[in-house]
Amino acid sequence: MLNHIFIALLTFFMSTAITAQASLKLPKTVKVDRAALTIEEPCDPIISPAWREAQEIEGVKIAASPGCSPDNPAWIAAAVKGTNNISMDTLMKTGLSPDAIIKTDDLDGDGDPDRIIIKLEIMELNGKSPDFPGLVPTFDIAPGIQPGAWVFAPKTSGMSTENFESVRANPLLRLPSPVIRVEVGDIVQIVLENTHYFPHSIHLHGVDHPFMHGEHGGQDGVPQTSERELMPGERRVYQFQARQPGTMFYHCHVQTHTHLAMGLGGMIVIEENRPNNWLQTLNIGAGQVRHPSVAVKEQYDQEYDLHYHAMDKELGDIIKKYNDPRLIARDMNQRYDATDSTEDYYTLNGLSFPYTLRESLIIVEQDQKIKLRMLNSGGELIAVHTHGHHATITHYDGVEHNPVAQIMRDVFDIAPAQRLDLKLETIDDGKHSYGEGDWLIHDHREKGITTNGMAEGGSMSSIVYKSFLNGSGMPKVSHFGIDLSAYFTKEYYEGRYPIWQDLDEWSSLGSPGEREGLTPAAQTSLIYAFIGLLAGLLIYLIFAKREQIKQGAVATISRLKSPKGSNQ
Amino acid sequence: MTKTTTLTFLIAGIFTLSTSVLAQQQTESSEQDHAQHDHSGHDMSHDAHDHSGHDMSQDSGAAIDHSQMDHSDHEHDHDVDHSTHDTHAMDHGDMHHHHHMDHDHIMDHEGTMIMGQNLDTLPSSCRSISEEVEITVRAGRKYSAKFPGTAFAFDQQEWRVKPCAKVTFHFMNEDNIRHQFMMHGLPKYLYKYGMFHLEVTGPKTVSGTIIVPGGDDTYLVHCDISHHMEKGMKAQLVVGNGGTDIPGIPGLTPYNINDTYEAENLPTLSDKAEQSKMVRQITQFTNDNLQTYGMMLIGLLLGLFCIPLIRKIPLRRNKENKS
Ligand SMILES: [Cu+2]
Ligand SMILES: [Cu+2]
Repeated sequence: MLNHIFIALLTFFMSTAITAQASLKLPKTVKVDRAALTIEEPCDPIISPAWREAQEIEGVKIAASPGCSPDNPAWIAAAVKGTNNISMDTLMKTGLSPDAIIKTDDLDGDGDPDRIIIKLEIMELNGKSPDFPGLVPTFDIAPGIQPGAWVFAPKTSGMSTENFESVRANPLLRLPSPVIRVEVGDIVQIVLENTHYFPHSIHLHGVDHPFMHGEHGGQDGVPQTSERELMPGERRVYQFQARQPGTMFYHCHVQTHTHLAMGLGGMIVIEENRPNNWLQTLNIGAGQVRHPSVAVKEQYDQEYDLHYHAMDKELGDIIKKYNDPRLIARDMNQRYDATDSTEDYYTLNGLSFPYTLRESLIIVEQDQKIKLRMLNSGGELIAVHTHGHHATITHYDGVEHNPVAQIMRDVFDIAPAQRLDLKLETIDDGKHSYGEGDWLIHDHREKGITTNGMAEGGSMSSIVYKSFLNGSGMPKVSHFGIDLSAYFTKEYYEGRYPIWQDLDEWSSLGSPGEREGLTPAAQTSLIYAFIGLLAGLLIYLIFAKREQIKQGAVATISRLKSPKGSNQ
Repeated sequence: MTKTTTLTFLIAGIFTLSTSVLAQQQTESSEQDHAQHDHSGHDMSHDAHDHSGHDMSQDSGAAIDHSQMDHSDHEHDHDVDHSTHDTHAMDHGDMHHHHHMDHDHIMDHEGTMIMGQNLDTLPSSCRSISEEVEITVRAGRKYSAKFPGTAFAFDQQEWRVKPCAKVTFHFMNEDNIRHQFMMHGLPKYLYKYGMFHLEVTGPKTVSGTIIVPGGDDTYLVHCDISHHMEKGMKAQLVVGNGGTDIPGIPGLTPYNINDTYEAENLPTLSDKAEQSKMVRQITQFTNDNLQTYGMMLIGLLLGLFCIPLIRKIPLRRNKENKS
């Protein structure tokens, strides 16, 4: 009998020993070699540093923009003068169609044009190609992150890609849809030329516009109330003469639950009427307004358009999966369930961290007043926190809040489609500002700083004082021993780079390698073989000792029966 | 007793093992989940783009004989037809009409563009112009109607010319948006980027002329506005016997990468017929039943009515018997 116990114990201890032996020798840390990463330049190399400087083009004063990816100054000149009032040389530098922005007729004789025609096309980004296994035209919101998207784009001239050899989108074709700026009293025509393969429309949310126009018909943009869907290849004019100023919103109202999320929405600002008020009609890519309106300059030193958006990866993936418009329509209209959707990408001015550092920094100096116009075009409420600052909410949805009742906050909750105008004052008094620094500005919902679940990403950016800016226009962080280069790699957002490996010399929180000796697979098969052995042993034992077992069983049964018998 | 202990130990041993195996499997599968994250699509090889790949055989040795060309008819007849254009929405009034002109780039105030036009320079592979042809190309959404799964198209998907032909294209855009007639793969010493490009916002026509090279080749023609080519606006110009076909031309050549299609659960007329058939069956069933029950009721009534009669018969017999 003893030997049986011995065998059983042996098998038991052997089985535990395998596990015990493995845990005695834990795998070594594998440190990812930086050279194995595709590290991008912090600043986009295609953008000329000369664009950062304050300059004058076509008589248009363009403010300095010290960030590393400022707007093309030619865009600003064209937006201020109109593409019809600039030299061919400047126009050729913009890539805009010569009829993209037409400004004519000073109707009230106050020195600025009052008839404004803005032509918008609809462009697809990161859509499937039937010709090669890739996307076209590509637009990265963060390193390696290319969500399928649609945008309103200023009417362009020529190709949709940078050039013939590239699949990267023409710089005019980008997220977000451009910010539109017009004046109270301007006769504005937004001409939508539907270059996309789906029907679309424009709804002017918050903008004073007539429900229908004598010449152009219904123009609320809603296919259930005011007009038919604008089909591919068709053109429609939306005309208005706004009586009230404010930060407003325009977006497609066809299948809004998908079209808005795909990117078909932008900010539209109605500026107060002032003499000689030549406005920057388009702020392509949003961000700093390098030629602010007269009314804004009366009160502020700087102005920024901050467009927050969110996108669902699964929705954008539909145009990456199919080329046939019918299949895309089927998946979007009949199969995609917005109630089951989750937002994966959070963007500020069309980009996620770290690209937000390139062009959506709020670059300030002490004792400035900065106007921030905020729009949330995502599907959920956001809560934007300004580190180091309390700002004053001056306007809700374009309407001025009673100046006596205006409040200061450091978290700004913005409902979907809502606009807030903030007055940020960089007065170092412990309330308005705590002093100079590289202060984060981010959506305080934790997921707001992620990109498809990977932090740090999302819509976070910085309010950065000029003294904290390095030569190339990025926040100066190296003096704290900070290295942001890992964020400028696609491997990071693929979840393949253990960011904490660099916190100490021996990478205590680096990536563990595989077990030494046996591979997990070999270990598994060994364990299976061992189970087989045990089972065999068990069967053998039962077979060999069947007589004893039988006797034992009989004895047990009789023992169980005997008490009954004795009772009788 | 000893046997039971042995068994218990054995079972315990197997149990611990199997749990550790199970745990192992779980960790493995979660690792796999990580690896399955979709990272594809980011690494595109630009070479795969079907734009390139037209190897031009340029006969550098052959001298270009300029004397053979007739310099008299070099009038740039890129007549832009303004008459059909809908100026309703935009009254240009007295605005500057700036026309951009340099050697190979002509653009008017509405963005109508002619790029890479060549009216007079013979390609090195040609001794003379073989033929002068005019081709009208119509572009618009309506031409996509005959190609399911497309959104825009040219009216024709292929044009054929002789090598060394002087070809004038009249590009008629019939939509109210921009379209392009862009040709690629032309000799780069004659055409900037090897491109010839017409662009116009419709409804409007723009014309431009090229002289095609002397070799047999097939040239890609497309509209480069985002996803116009992908969604059908793609064709080819075949010179002489042509070269390799361009993929993905509607009705002509298959796509390189195809979508997958599946049966849809769509409502159909036969569904409706089936449905009404079922309704009919149900009503028929009730009707049948009504008839059956009706007949039964009649039978019952008849039966009841007959009872006294039936009863009388045996009674009589009894009476007869008694009597
Ligand atoms: Cu839409
Ligand atoms: Cu087109």
